[in-house]
Amino acid sequence: MRGIFIGGIVILCFLISYMIPLKDATSEDIKACLKCHEIKTLQKRLDTGESISLYIDGKRFEKSVHGAMGCSSCHPNINVRNHPKPRKITNKKEYIKEFSPNCINCHPKDVLMKPEVHGIVVKKGEIYCSECHGSHYIGSIKEWKNKATFNEYCMACHKFDMTKTLLSKEKISLKVNEQEIKKSVHGKFQCIVCHSDFSKVKHPIYNFKDKKQYRTEMTKICTKCHTDEKLKKNPTHYALTKTASCIECHGYHGVKPAKVVRALPENQYCLSCHSRAISMKFKNGETLSVQVKESEILNSAHKKLKCTECHRDFSTTKHPIRSFDSLNEYRAKAKDICNNCHQNAVNKYDISIHAASLKRGNKESPDCLKCHGYHNVSFITKDKMASSELCIRCHKESGKAFKESVHYEAVKQGKQNAPNCSSCHNFHDVLPVNVAKLDNSCIKCHKDVKTTHNKWLWNPPLRLTTFVDTHFNSTTCASCHTKAQKAIFLTLVDEAKNKPLQEDEIAKALNIDTKALKTKVDANADGKIEEKELWQFMSSIKEKTKVNLSGKINVLNSSDAHKIESKEKSIKDCASCHSPNAPMKSKFEINREGTKPLRFEVETKVLNSLYAIPNIKDFYVLGFTKIQILDVLFFLALIGGIAVPIGHITLRVLTAPIRRKRREGK
Amino acid sequence: MKRVYLHPLPVRIWHWINAIGFIVLIITGAQIRFVDSMGLMSFETAVDIHSWFGFILIANYFIWLLYYLLTGKLFKIYIPPFWRPVEFIKNSIRQARYYGYGIMVGDKNPHHPTPDNKFNPLQQVSYLMIMGLLIPLQIITGLILWDPQFFSGLADIFGGIQIASLIHTALWIFFSAFIIVHFYLATLGHTPMAHIKAMFTGYEEEHEDH
Repeated sequence: MRGIFIGGIVILCFLISYMIPLKDATSEDIKACLKCHEIKTLQKRLDTGESISLYIDGKRFEKSVHGAMGCSSCHPNINVRNHPKPRKITNKKEYIKEFSPNCINCHPKDVLMKPEVHGIVVKKGEIYCSECHGSHYIGSIKEWKNKATFNEYCMACHKFDMTKTLLSKEKISLKVNEQEIKKSVHGKFQCIVCHSDFSKVKHPIYNFKDKKQYRTEMTKICTKCHTDEKLKKNPTHYALTKTASCIECHGYHGVKPAKVVRALPENQYCLSCHSRAISMKFKNGETLSVQVKESEILNSAHKKLKCTECHRDFSTTKHPIRSFDSLNEYRAKAKDICNNCHQNAVNKYDISIHAASLKRGNKESPDCLKCHGYHNVSFITKDKMASSELCIRCHKESGKAFKESVHYEAVKQGKQNAPNCSSCHNFHDVLPVNVAKLDNSCIKCHKDVKTTHNKWLWNPPLRLTTFVDTHFNSTTCASCHTKAQKAIFLTLVDEAKNKPLQEDEIAKALNIDTKALKTKVDANADGKIEEKELWQFMSSIKEKTKVNLSGKINVLNSSDAHKIESKEKSIKDCASCHSPNAPMKSKFEINREGTKPLRFEVETKVLNSLYAIPNIKDFYVLGFTKIQILDVLFFLALIGGIAVPIGHITLRVLTAPIRRKRREGK
Repeated sequence: MKRVYLHPLPVRIWHWINAIGFIVLIITGAQIRFVDSMGLMSFETAVDIHSWFGFILIANYFIWLLYYLLTGKLFKIYIPPFWRPVEFIKNSIRQARYYGYGIMVGDKNPHHPTPDNKFNPLQQVSYLMIMGLLIPLQIITGLILWDPQFFSGLADIFGGIQIASLIHTALWIFFSAFIIVHFYLATLGHTPMAHIKAMFTGYEEEHEDH
């Protein structure tokens, strides 16, 4: 009985001991935790499949910088009696993130921010304290610094997914794959061999403008060992180093020997480098990717060609160093490559408005590459719309108008003879519309056009096709076959050569600069040529050379010319042009070799002026271009014609008594 | 009163076709020119009628020419006696004086028409100009405007279609005024209808008033 009593007292004391908080009993605290956490197999498995070991090596912990502290110092909410039930942990990183603020309790942020780079890491919050410093067995940083190799020291942080945002807002990864380095030709190097500006006590911070600058700066690291002198031993490789950065071919840390086997088939040899993301720099700072995707070549019309069949200056032994001022200059030279085989097409292109425009510096203007691509030169498609889409990419308005035309309907219906852009404008020799004689393109398909027009367009009593020609010569097809606003375009023509005068020829005749020509025509610079201005200009140029103005009716906005209506909807009402009130505007054009003409709006009344007779002597639209003053003369003549009899009769009436007297006198 | 056979049948036919043609051409010409303000007919109809009548008058002109060439009267009737210039000028002044003064005071018409000399000096000059120059000009410029492409060579001779159009329009203005005066002068016979009647019958009555 006594024994039972004593036993009861002991158990009660034991139980009570659990209820009284054990302040300042650090070792006891650790011991209590370790009762369970010293079990080696104790671990928690997360839903993500990750596992967190809950085992603590008590002895190691005691040796750590926090060894003298109790568990509750860092885990304040946990003790033996108040141990949270198994709780949900999303993933390891989340768990680490949750516990890291506990460190801040003793290591205030301002202290942590003092070392600059450490401060950046803390501030960015991409890595948490325990990821670098560990959790329970944290040693002395000073000791670790001394003991750690350079690689260990650097990798302590750079093994993590850290990024740096450049001034251009581009991001670069700072994570370094140690294994990749070990496998590389630089595998035995310590980090500071290349990154010599860094050390255990020095971590400069660079603010690169963009990735390009970053790559350029990084390349300088390579040239410390791989000097120009050494690189020159392989001229091809040396040439490459002048157009591409080392990193582009060799990578950053996983530097591999980039030896290219000469025995490879030629295309493979070239692709050894050019399959990589390498680019070319121009003097003006522009860059061009010189990466070649093998798949593009294999799917192109040039799939059977060897690289050197186009790039004739290059071979497995030759890689000339080329330097271009700009992408434009490069592309102009690239055309020569096409010219090796496609001379006819290139010759035609050279006279095109596109070539002239490119020459004048319009970067949007197409050359071979813009339409056909670099290496993905496609086969000629039979899909008429697909090839036209290429033009529509730039000529959006015209494309939109074309899609509302009867021609597009024919394309959609898959008609064999349905036209697309090149049917009228040609493929390569695309000329300015004012000189392209586009109506001939219509006649190419609509061969019997004269006969069909002559069925209704003739002057009695003879049905002459020349009457159709009269209209074809002075108006475009689109003028009647669209509902677009029309205008009369006046152009200066050299009477001797019967050819439109070019801007430079006019300027030369007037002995002025081409830039001053605009002011010469539009003297008051109001953007519109008044009647007086036009005749003054004509008078001054006629003093120098024999010229006249030719005229033609066309649609005002050339894009509208694509919106061809069906035959039934075409204009057949003669008075739509042959009337003084016909809604036509007037334009004055000065031709410019190979490009769009200089255009001015002109007062339409110039066509009704007496001065039009000597100055626009071959253009006449019955009714519309009538000389107004003659109408006044007509009415004066009618009045005069009536006044003569009235006057004469009046005199005869007044003199009737004289005659009567004379008769009576007889 | 004696009757003089002044206007042979071919001349009368030619004259009346010409008269109708002129009026139609003047009116359709006006319709073409004033399409925006005249509503007699559509532009197309006006052009069609104008073209048809243009060709009718061209044919008619050749009837006249052929008749006068074949009968040999062209020279006698239309060509003023340039070999007697002083007399011709005197006669012209006398004729003008008659229309401007003599007719008012009851003078006799100084000119007595005969089949070989039916025009007074003023008529002779006027009709020579009209038949020998103005109508051919109107025909040629009309043809240029009728089909500028077919007659582009002619247009070039004139110095361009604008000049051809200018001439054609100017003559239209002239003929419009002329035809009114011509009609009035036709009423200045011994009776207002005398000359007009003669143009139907061929016979001009030689009255003492003349």
